[in-house]
Amino acid sequence: MAAPAPEYLRFTTHKSLTHRLVLSTLTGRPVHISQIRSSSPTNPGLAPHEISFLRLLDSITNGSVMQISYTGTTLTYIPGLITGSVSTGGGDVVRCVLPETCRRGVSWFLLPLCMLAPFSKAPINVRFEGDGVITSATETGDVSVDTVRTAILPLYEAFGIIGSKLELRILQRSCAGVGGKGGGGVVELRFGSQVRLPKTLHMNRSPGRVKRIRGVAYSTGVSASNSARMINAARGVLNPLVPDIHVASQYDQAPLVGDKGSAGGKKRTGVGFGLSLIAECSSEGVIYSADVPAPSQGGVTPEDIGKRCAYQLLEMVSQGGCITRVGAPTVLTLMAMGSEDVGREEI
Amino acid sequence: MAPTLGKRKREVANLSNKSPRISSDEREETELDAQEIFRRHFEAQFQPLPIIPKPKTVVEELDDEQDEQSDWDGISDGDENVVQVVEHTDTQLRISAMSKEELKAFMTSKPPSSNPGQSLIRDKPGLVEDDDPSEAANLKKDLALQRLLAESHLLESSKNPTLNGTNRHKATELRLQALGSKMSILKQEKMPMSHRRGIIAKQTEKEEKRRREARENGIILEKAKMKKNTDGKRDRGVGGPGIGKFSGGTLNLSKKDIFNIEGPRRSSSTRGGRGGGRGRGKRGR
Repeated sequence: MAAPAPEYLRFTTHKSLTHRLVLSTLTGRPVHISQIRSSSPTNPGLAPHEISFLRLLDSITNGSVMQISYTGTTLTYIPGLITGSVSTGGGDVVRCVLPETCRRGVSWFLLPLCMLAPFSKAPINVRFEGDGVITSATETGDVSVDTVRTAILPLYEAFGIIGSKLELRILQRSCAGVGGKGGGGVVELRFGSQVRLPKTLHMNRSPGRVKRIRGVAYSTGVSASNSARMINAARGVLNPLVPDIHVASQYDQAPLVGDKGSAGGKKRTGVGFGLSLIAECSSEGVIYSADVPAPSQGGVTPEDIGKRCAYQLLEMVSQGGCITRVGAPTVLTLMAMGSEDVGREEI
Repeated sequence: MAPTLGKRKREVANLSNKSPRISSDEREETELDAQEIFRRHFEAQFQPLPIIPKPKTVVEELDDEQDEQSDWDGISDGDENVVQVVEHTDTQLRISAMSKEELKAFMTSKPPSSNPGQSLIRDKPGLVEDDDPSEAANLKKDLALQRLLAESHLLESSKNPTLNGTNRHKATELRLQALGSKMSILKQEKMPMSHRRGIIAKQTEKEEKRRREARENGIILEKAKMKKNTDGKRDRGVGGPGIGKFSGGTLNLSKKDIFNIEGPRRSSSTRGGRGGGRGRGKRGR
């Protein structure tokens, strides 16, 4: 840019890094973030998943400049244009390889990516793979990909984005591996619907009553009866309240990671199970979601997971509003990117 | 330690059990009395009954059992305060039965649409409400009954007692035949000759074996179906020779063909049969 020296917006710490970067990209304002984990004696600076996100941003934008200080505690980001996934050779899919040390679920990447995608020049198709892709919910607070697909992606329809052109393919499921690190899943996001200006949203009505409850119980590499037990426990809590409950049970083999050449050979990782529930309300577009995974060290019965998930869903419903905490960043960002009409939203 | 403990417990239990046992004895007596009354009544009307000795042993066994039960009671009353909770959850319970269509719609890679009810669930044509007096409903029921009668023998097969899979195909075949179809849909039209030969050979072998075994065991079977002799006129197409076999650019005529062309040879012709005939005719004139 030959323009005069850009005015940086200055932030500190790594808090909501992805959202800051996304908003910076959407508005074109450069950001300067400092003191990223500067107080940590062992792991100062950017974490592996944050680096991966920067790489992903780099691959779907054109002309963006990132500067990371030597210790990684300071980041300067000058955004470019969101081109989507045309620039890469070899297929229309951008591959994003996550390292084994990644502790965040893949939804941590998916949610900000989806916020950028409607304003891209071309469709955004990204495939997440590598030894660090955790498709399940994680204990670090990320939701599962099922929740992203069933609870977050439908929110885009209210903004004039065609739902049938969005796809989130789960090619390989995986839970968090040993110590909550790494997975080995494969997820592909296809965001084929772009808009210049999202429609104005009016969701200040009452959210209505919960009409039906759907969900996915996934068990990866463990007995499929775990799914049935989770579903049973969750239904035990929810059935007296809503009769229309259907939870799909999904069993997959655990993914194989590692090379044959390496010392340990190939091994299975990302074993675990979890439950994702959504509650659809009678009012259009209001979806509550809950997500509970089994901890990676184990020791929790599926019944507990099912019950906890059901209670979490009930808590979400009791909080009310048209948008849950998980969906709020997405909806608010899209509302901010809309036209000058005033959108309304009840949280 | 254990035996002494058991003994003590037994005594305690016996003490505690005394009152119920007495009551049970009394009940037994009243029951006996009732039986006695019935017996007397019966004997008054008919002849006296043979006296059966009372099975004493049973009572003793009962006593033993009670003792054992009391043993158990004794052990459990040691720690009364601890309540053991056993939670039994049945995993075999019917879990969420998503219909196939719904499951498909929900588990695709696309975000589930907000109102799947309209497009995805087709209204089933087979469902007729029981109390629908209209003519159309009656016709439908009639058709269903007819079909059930015609196809119920398929449901008897032990392998597959539902109208699914193979049986469904068979039912379709039956309906088509009823409508006048000549070709069977179950018969494969094109297959290698060797396969076909093998299949036919196997069929005949099976049938032959069945018949042989039946004959050996003296079972009378139905009459063997006579093979239809395909001796009739072969369809020779248009423009080809009407007789013989054309191969290698030559028309080969068999003896039979030649005989057919020549017509019946008369032994009388050598002896001037025709003339003779004429002569005979003349003679007749």
